[in-house]
Amino acid sequence: MKRNLRVMITGACGGLGRVLAGECARRGYWLFLTDIRQPDLDTLAQGLARRFGARADTWACDLTDDAAVNGLFAFIDARGLAFDMLLNVAGIDFEGGFLQRERQRLLDIVSLNIEATLRVTHAMLTRRRQGVPFYLVFVSSLASLYPMPLKATYAASKRFLLDFSIALRQELRGEGVRVLALCPGGLATTAEAMRGIAAQGVWGQVTTNRLERVARRTVDKALANRAVYIPGAINRLLARCGRLAPAGLVAALLHRRWQAARGHSY
Amino acid sequence: MQWVVITGATSGIGLAVAQKLAAQGYGVLGVGRSADRCQQAQARIQQSYPQARTQYFCADLMQQRQVHRVADQLCAHLAEHADGALHALINNAGCVRGWYTTTEEGYEQQFALNHLAGFLLTYLLLPALQRGRGRVIITGSNSHKGARVHWPDVMLQHHYGPLRAYKQSKLCNLLFAAGLNSRLAGQGIRACAVDPGLVHTDIGNKDAGGLVSFVWGLRKGHGVPPDVPAATYAALCGQDAPPPALYYYDGHPRRYSRRVTEASANRLFELSERLCGIAYEA
Repeated sequence: MKRNLRVMITGACGGLGRVLAGECARRGYWLFLTDIRQPDLDTLAQGLARRFGARADTWACDLTDDAAVNGLFAFIDARGLAFDMLLNVAGIDFEGGFLQRERQRLLDIVSLNIEATLRVTHAMLTRRRQGVPFYLVFVSSLASLYPMPLKATYAASKRFLLDFSIALRQELRGEGVRVLALCPGGLATTAEAMRGIAAQGVWGQVTTNRLERVARRTVDKALANRAVYIPGAINRLLARCGRLAPAGLVAALLHRRWQAARGHSY
Repeated sequence: MQWVVITGATSGIGLAVAQKLAAQGYGVLGVGRSADRCQQAQARIQQSYPQARTQYFCADLMQQRQVHRVADQLCAHLAEHADGALHALINNAGCVRGWYTTTEEGYEQQFALNHLAGFLLTYLLLPALQRGRGRVIITGSNSHKGARVHWPDVMLQHHYGPLRAYKQSKLCNLLFAAGLNSRLAGQGIRACAVDPGLVHTDIGNKDAGGLVSFVWGLRKGHGVPPDVPAATYAALCGQDAPPPALYYYDGHPRRYSRRVTEASANRLFELSERLCGIAYEA
């Protein structure tokens, strides 16, 4: 099937969003990018146009704001745009002890990672075209597979996306909607992320996935109607162990690991 | 007083060159990524050479928006203090990345900083270079030998490797210098690249990630101190006639890769102009 898919990417200006946008542009897809700041979107869209000759429309929008998202879809409706794929990338990566963080910052994780994702997904699915497949991707995390002390809220928010994704996939199976949950390990998305990976030593090294490969395979697997994509053989093994071991034991082991990593870096 | 611009001037080779040129009486405009390190470098030079006229500017040159901003600041400074004339632009800032990482434009970071940043900054400073009949000196590397430019996927989105990307970017430095010379020969501007050799710097430890930091930690100990290559930069700035050769090591011309051809230089110019949204006059 060679068709120029029309793809919306949320959180397009972040490390993973940029690489996914580049991957879609390389394939010749038509892009609609959203993120919180318009100048960042302009820069990315210009870069994609210069590098790939890609067509990328943009709309800056705070996805945690209901009215702003209504504005986004009003723009889409006014232009008569229809999409084939939604990549839900927007999210906050966040760590630190529950009591060491401000209350609002913790609520922001739920607000963006969960609520905003549902808001955009619902608006998009109600506008999907009939008779053609619609591809939906949720960016969950390897962290979704375990209870994670020191990343408790973040990991639980990603767990929500994983379970939601699998359930929604089943619910919409008969309607041509194909749902993929991406569960990457570490990704070198920002300078901080790279320092975090370095601080974990060998563990960081072996659980980190190559961004460009994750982006390529994510699109491949969405098109192939896969349910869950855990990049990296070691991560898949860890995921399997995590499912077999008792949750309390996993939490205790992870707590030790994160404390050790934090000792190095913070 | 003659003025020079040095990028990546807060540590390593860039800082050593800034100190050496400040000591020799040049006005030094340094560019660095971190405001703190810029301040420290400037204070250090002023302390060693109280007469020196040094000004640091903060910019993350892998982001093109910041190249534009800092170029405006540099031009304004030169207009005020040097009648708009620049004697030398030293495109030295560089990085190594163990992973495929991107800039705001979605460009691969090593290609963006090691090549495109200098390509764009040189273009934006051309009026000052023309006025000063200036030189463009680029920090290259002998590792460019054996490398080639992966034209269909120059950012190595497929088959990224830290060293492949690094070597390719250093080959691009030589192609850029060669292309500049053929375009700007009539205007008195001359470009060359310097192989600094193996130097004890932190290039492989700054957010390099992956195994790169570990390997570089072992390797850099064998390197010479940064003031050794700095002498070559100072000589290229100081000699009356612009440097006639394209590639220097330890003060002398050195042989470079046979892949440095006019056709490749033209192809790189075309590609880089598109990626930067500019056009050098042919």
